[in-house]
Amino acid sequence: MVAHILKLKLRLLGNGFKRSTGQLIGVIIGGVYALGMIVMLTLAAFYSAGQTQNAAELSIVLASVVVLGWAIVPPLLTGVDLTLEPSRFVHFGISQKILAPALVLSGFISLPAILTIIGLLGGTLLWRFEAGPMVAAVLAALVTAAMAVLVCQYLTILSTALRAKRRFRELTFALLFLVLICFGPIISSVAGAAQSMTDWLSPLSNVLSYTPFGAAAALPGALSESNFAKFAVCLLLAVIYLGGLYFLVARATAEATVTPPPEQRAAKQSGLGFFKFVPATPTGAVTARALTYWFKDPRYAIGVLMVPVLPLIFWFTGNQSGDYTMMYLIGPLIGILLGFSISADISYDNTAFALHVLTGVQGRADRAGRAFACFALSIIPVLLASILPGAIAGETWRIAGDLGISLAALLIALGVSSLASARYIYAVPLPGDNPMKTPPGNGMRVALTQLGTIGSMAILLLPVLIPYLMGWFQKSQALGLIALAVGLVEGIGLLVLGIILGGKWYEKRAPELMQAVMVNK
Amino acid sequence: MMLTDLGYCYAEEMNQIALDIRGLAKQFGPKVAVDNVSLEVPTGSFYGLVGPNGAGKTTMLSMATGLLRPDAGQALVNGLDIWAQPQAAKSTLGVLADGVRQFDRLTGRQLVTYSGLLRGMERAEVTERTEDLLRVMDLSNDGDKLVVDYSAGMTKKISLATAMIHSPKLLVLDEPFEAVDPVSAANIRDILNDYVAYGGTVIVSSHVMDLVQRMCTHVAVIAGGVLKAQGSVDEVRGDMSLEDRFVDLVGGRGNNEGLSWLRTSSN
Repeated sequence: MVAHILKLKLRLLGNGFKRSTGQLIGVIIGGVYALGMIVMLTLAAFYSAGQTQNAAELSIVLASVVVLGWAIVPPLLTGVDLTLEPSRFVHFGISQKILAPALVLSGFISLPAILTIIGLLGGTLLWRFEAGPMVAAVLAALVTAAMAVLVCQYLTILSTALRAKRRFRELTFALLFLVLICFGPIISSVAGAAQSMTDWLSPLSNVLSYTPFGAAAALPGALSESNFAKFAVCLLLAVIYLGGLYFLVARATAEATVTPPPEQRAAKQSGLGFFKFVPATPTGAVTARALTYWFKDPRYAIGVLMVPVLPLIFWFTGNQSGDYTMMYLIGPLIGILLGFSISADISYDNTAFALHVLTGVQGRADRAGRAFACFALSIIPVLLASILPGAIAGETWRIAGDLGISLAALLIALGVSSLASARYIYAVPLPGDNPMKTPPGNGMRVALTQLGTIGSMAILLLPVLIPYLMGWFQKSQALGLIALAVGLVEGIGLLVLGIILGGKWYEKRAPELMQAVMVNK
Repeated sequence: MMLTDLGYCYAEEMNQIALDIRGLAKQFGPKVAVDNVSLEVPTGSFYGLVGPNGAGKTTMLSMATGLLRPDAGQALVNGLDIWAQPQAAKSTLGVLADGVRQFDRLTGRQLVTYSGLLRGMERAEVTERTEDLLRVMDLSNDGDKLVVDYSAGMTKKISLATAMIHSPKLLVLDEPFEAVDPVSAANIRDILNDYVAYGGTVIVSSHVMDLVQRMCTHVAVIAGGVLKAQGSVDEVRGDMSLEDRFVDLVGGRGNNEGLSWLRTSSN
């Protein structure tokens, strides 16, 4: 039975690649990149063996980073491929003694898990001159990988359960995000306080060696120093942590398999909502529909979360260095981020997009409606983000320029995504799905798209950027005003162009878009 | 009375053929889904499209309604080629597509309103017809609920409402009675009969032969992507029941060996 479920997971992994070549290419590029990192790490470990005094500390910190990464990144940021969600097995009546270990083991059948194991094993070469510690290191690597996967599974199950409660979900999500954001600055301030790397490496690794993050990885070091007391303690801790975590995951899995999906209370809204306030045209209707979705669909909410988070990150960073220049980047960055958030709009519609095709709505109306909705939501944050930094710093001469670059960023991003989303569909979480669920291989594609996006934005923003930067260096309000004028003219021009051209593409390709959203890839 | 409420207008110079399908064909990879099907749906008919699962019904209707580009062939909706003049053709066409989502984060009332406004209708008219449609679909009390919280049958009904708000001349309904309770199904049948009586044309696809035989004036049988028969119900069925005739045309009845292990009494 366990073997069956593992085979199922393997088959799912294989079939996932068969679905689309683009996805496969994404996975391959990502895999090559990760393998490159692993080879570098392995080589570094190989050549540092016997050369460094800090082998023990480095092993612990490396292992801790890996476990922490698994604890944070998949459950919170990129999402986990939950094809084997425990709740899917509700109907099968499989004994929980079999199902729980099977599902736990299946967590190891994924590219990231396999790469993690290889990477950790490569890192053990740091101990290649000492036989005993080397054996302990290999063992520790396997335990660390197991810890990483288990932590990730446990947090995922927990967060899935929490997310089931709609209101709660959004709140916890925002809170976790904030905690996460504060993490970096806290660590870097601690690091900044220490005189040198070894200064903090030693105490940090010492503490970590007693936590679930580094207990196993502390074993080779302790053995190498012949510190048998520490070896025994860490070994005991590692066993307890791993066993305890396995117990927790197994229990949570078992619970999930017998808990029916939570009941959602039927939401009501009296009247027409946004439909009442928009002009009675197709464009107005699309605007109202898109606005409703921005508020009702959690998949959109994640994009919006970046808006309060960005200033916080930048403020923390500024607080560290005492240089708040970064704050001036918030306006254009928020403009770009929000403007591009509609580039997946049709993908998010999924097959509901059929209504647009069947009504034969004009491409221009579809494009404009979506862009207007996003603009209506973005304009206030963008204005605030571009006016406030200059105003707070008392440098009012620069506000015009900041406004120019931010508005241009928003408008151009809207224009570019109006064009792009009429052409490209990508795999996104389905309506009503866990918004953090991502199809495999998508991360790489998203990264590539973003790279292309930022590249094209940098080029398109150039006409505004030149007067803006000149104005910044010369502290000239006149140049700022020129940037504002150029930004508005170019931004509005490109937005209109994007809507018209995107509308043409849309009309030409509406049936093809429809077929693409049906397969969602 | 219901459809006069909807303001259905009967055009004088109507085409004799409401939906004229000429040699539609579609291939997905090696699989031929629809193989050169030609079909004429007379104006004012209640047309049943029947066929086994995977026969190509949905594929054909998708091509005839502008959702799926055909490899070859034409589809004329009230005389207008839906692929050459999509906007004009679609304005006289209402479609209930099978297996597509709705914008289900809208309330039922918002969704029907949206469908009307998307078609460029006046707000007052949209408001009036939305309330009428909710009433005849028996959804007045659920108009403020999100469609995502609707049952399957309610979703069908609200989708039907989105397809009717612009009082089309031709309604193409893919599996309209699936998951709909008997009372609602009877109500929908009344609405459709009324609509046909006032000159509208309806095409329904269905598996339920009995229903098609009772409800439809015309029928086409499609199997394996090929049109097996078309014409008035009486022409197609001859002296058999439609169901027997259908099985006759399509074939594929099992050899009746059955599942011996499914007989619980043997345990």
